[in-house]
Amino acid sequence: MPTPASALASASSSHRRASSDLMVRIGSADSEIKLRALRELKNQIIGNRTKKLFFLKLGAVPAVSCALAQAQAQAQADLLVQSAAALGSFACGFDAGVRAVLDSGAFANLVALLSFPDDKVVDAGARSLRMIYQSKLAPKYDFLQEKNMEFLLSLLNSENETVTGLGASIIIHSCETVVEQKALCNAGVLKKLTSLLEGSPSQKDASLESLATIIKKNPEAASKFVSESRRALSSVIDLSKDRNPRTRLLACMCLIVIRNTSPCHLQDIGIKTKLVYLLLELLDDPGQVGEEASFAFSSLLAQKEDLQKLAFEANAIDKLHNHLQKHLLQPRRYQGILLALAELCSKLESCRSRFLSLEVLNLVTDALTHEVADVRTAACICLRSVSRSIKSLSAGRFMKEMIVIPLVRLLHDPSTSVQVAALGAVSNIVVDFTTAKSTFLQCGGLKLLVQLSKSMDPILRFNALCGLRNLMFLADNTCKERIFLELTAPSLSSLICDPEPFVQERALALVRNLVDGCLDSIKYVFAEDGIILDAIGRQLQNTSKAEIGIQGMYVLSNIASGNEFHKEAVMHQLLLQVNNGTQAFILKFLQSNDSQLRTAAIWTIINLTIPSSPGASSRVVKLRSASIVSQIKTMVNDPCVDVKFRVSTALGQFMTIGDGST
Amino acid sequence: MSLFWIVIRHLAEIEAMATSKKVITKEEWEKKLKDVKIRKEDMNKLVMNFLVTEGYVDAAEKFRLESGTEPDIDLATITDRMAVKKAVQSGNVEDAIEKVNDLNPEILDTNPQLFFHLQQQRLIELIRNGKVEEALEFAQEELAPRGEENQSFLEELEKTVALLAFEDVSNCPVGELLDISQRLKTASEVNAAILTSQSHEKDPKLPSLLKMLIWAQNQLDEKAAYPRINDLSTAKLEDPAV
Repeated sequence: MPTPASALASASSSHRRASSDLMVRIGSADSEIKLRALRELKNQIIGNRTKKLFFLKLGAVPAVSCALAQAQAQAQADLLVQSAAALGSFACGFDAGVRAVLDSGAFANLVALLSFPDDKVVDAGARSLRMIYQSKLAPKYDFLQEKNMEFLLSLLNSENETVTGLGASIIIHSCETVVEQKALCNAGVLKKLTSLLEGSPSQKDASLESLATIIKKNPEAASKFVSESRRALSSVIDLSKDRNPRTRLLACMCLIVIRNTSPCHLQDIGIKTKLVYLLLELLDDPGQVGEEASFAFSSLLAQKEDLQKLAFEANAIDKLHNHLQKHLLQPRRYQGILLALAELCSKLESCRSRFLSLEVLNLVTDALTHEVADVRTAACICLRSVSRSIKSLSAGRFMKEMIVIPLVRLLHDPSTSVQVAALGAVSNIVVDFTTAKSTFLQCGGLKLLVQLSKSMDPILRFNALCGLRNLMFLADNTCKERIFLELTAPSLSSLICDPEPFVQERALALVRNLVDGCLDSIKYVFAEDGIILDAIGRQLQNTSKAEIGIQGMYVLSNIASGNEFHKEAVMHQLLLQVNNGTQAFILKFLQSNDSQLRTAAIWTIINLTIPSSPGASSRVVKLRSASIVSQIKTMVNDPCVDVKFRVSTALGQFMTIGDGST
Repeated sequence: MSLFWIVIRHLAEIEAMATSKKVITKEEWEKKLKDVKIRKEDMNKLVMNFLVTEGYVDAAEKFRLESGTEPDIDLATITDRMAVKKAVQSGNVEDAIEKVNDLNPEILDTNPQLFFHLQQQRLIELIRNGKVEEALEFAQEELAPRGEENQSFLEELEKTVALLAFEDVSNCPVGELLDISQRLKTASEVNAAILTSQSHEKDPKLPSLLKMLIWAQNQLDEKAAYPRINDLSTAKLEDPAV
């Protein structure tokens, strides 16, 4: 017996010779030789991704494209079928192949095959085009051009199943905007697709998917679909009980799209329950159907408390837990299940309790270190949902090393989406109502949060600030000091003046938590010559956004609850512009349409003018001359109860202080 | 009366009886059976469905002519499908692959498990024919990449390659791969895939009906003593146990 090494060495060289010989034969002038070579190539690459890549590198695609074009010129059916089939196989589930086929210019030739008199040729052409349209790389189809719409309709009206399938793939691939959806509806495509719901299994599947694409987020299209034919909706519901699991899944997905798009359809408890049970059952499918079922389940439950409740009653948490326990979970399936658990636990405490009682948390924390980024992201999103449980946060269920350490590590993950998701989970976990937050700080979490707050990416800055703000919530003095020292005053002031308003708001919310609570905390805003306080004053003067005003005023209000020095510093900020002739920003806020902003502003005034404090009367005089007191007097009958109440407190204080005038 | 008629009537009667527990004599039973109406057209369709799904082309054609029952798929496609099945059953896997690709190139392109099993069968045939060098080359070229592309095939791959390690293949632990039953398994898998791609049910209806009969009898056993069919091939009614 020859040694394996020599056998393999000679194997690869003979293989290379055979393939270059094949390439030569494809270019042969002799039709017979060419035909046999094309067939051989096709048979080598079908199902074999490695061979597809190999022949791609040898330049097979342009060669076959060329053969296709020549065969077209000479109307040679056999050659057309084989070359089209070969190109279709290169494009099947293989993006590099799709690109090569498109680059070779074969697309137009394949389209021309659809009108060839031979059925087998039409089939081959349609099949290959369908493969191309299953890839994102396919050229965008312009539905808005009349000629194109007519062509599409001719495809959908064809007797040939593969051709109608192509029509559907084009819709699924290219229909994206509301305008396109409308154009398709107006051209009568909905009606055609509805009739295909009674067709062959592949037509049913194709139709379900295209209907979902046209109806998605388009209430008009949804209504049109339901009203155009009496049986339309019931056909889809029937298909959710079809023998074929893929058909059942696509039917469920279509129903979910209709439900989510148009709240007047499919709202009864019967259909809701049915959808929950169908999807839970489809999760058991071992193939792609099972994988996609979990994503469909998430979209069914998203933001819908009633459905989450139904799912909980159907034991969804237990079922998903069972799936998580299986070995060798494919990454997409793992991601899907984690996201489904995240949706389930997003609002209901009952779901979160069940989740925690089943020890699912261990399986989710394992996923934090998975090699695929999407899985890590999904695990963080899941943790974020579950950690909304105040009961569990208080019991310290999340502030444990086995969760905090891997989570903190994800704060420096190479993928931004993982970092953002991790920040979301961290933000919840640090609100653990324990004042020390020691586990998190020990793992170096603080350093990372501060680092991320200086990121170039505003989303990361924002999310890091959310985490810091939550970390600061009810923190004790030692903890606050640690955070402040790590963050530094200059850094915090520059975040307050960040180019992005949503980041500014978060930074102010952080400062609000910083100065909240013990009087001692107020000193931080005065650090380094009061740069933080100055920054706040500047932002409040320049901002037009209510959210920023609200946070800023609450900071000032907290500072104003301090001692005389603090109160005077706030007065200084309030009246800074008045000296230059501009209107005080607080006047603008008191006149705002936003009741929360008016409330925050009044609180500041209340804290500044507490009668028992020594400087109260001189402050009232200054406020009066800045027209602030008169503004408040006009708010006696403010429509918002909160504001009205605070106004009367403020006015009461002014009266108590008394300054001789009314 | 044909066995088939008896079986179907029996099944229908059981379903009706399911609500009360008692003893039914053979005479009473047979009297009830006579009253059950079954349409001949339905029976013919079941037979045709069986012949077509199993691939008995000539029988299906003859049955069509003699009974006037139309098959639910084009008999010409059955011929193609049977050619593929036969090729696998005879160990000509390469030929089978070519035929499947001619029939529908999508089947093997979208069915990685089936493709892997066909490649596996090719390797088994090479080993069976003592072509060790070619087998090694094939395993390296064709099967190893399948394992790389998809982790779930690795275990089966290892089993198959293990065949190469043994001098006396018929006596090794994975020897069952060389059995004819392995060929039949693969042939059946290809047959099912082709049927599915032609939008046809891959299982005939008749076995489901018989399974239903056995299940229904088991259910009724809890409630009544009645003439049972114990041997499906004869459909003979056994006297009830008293």
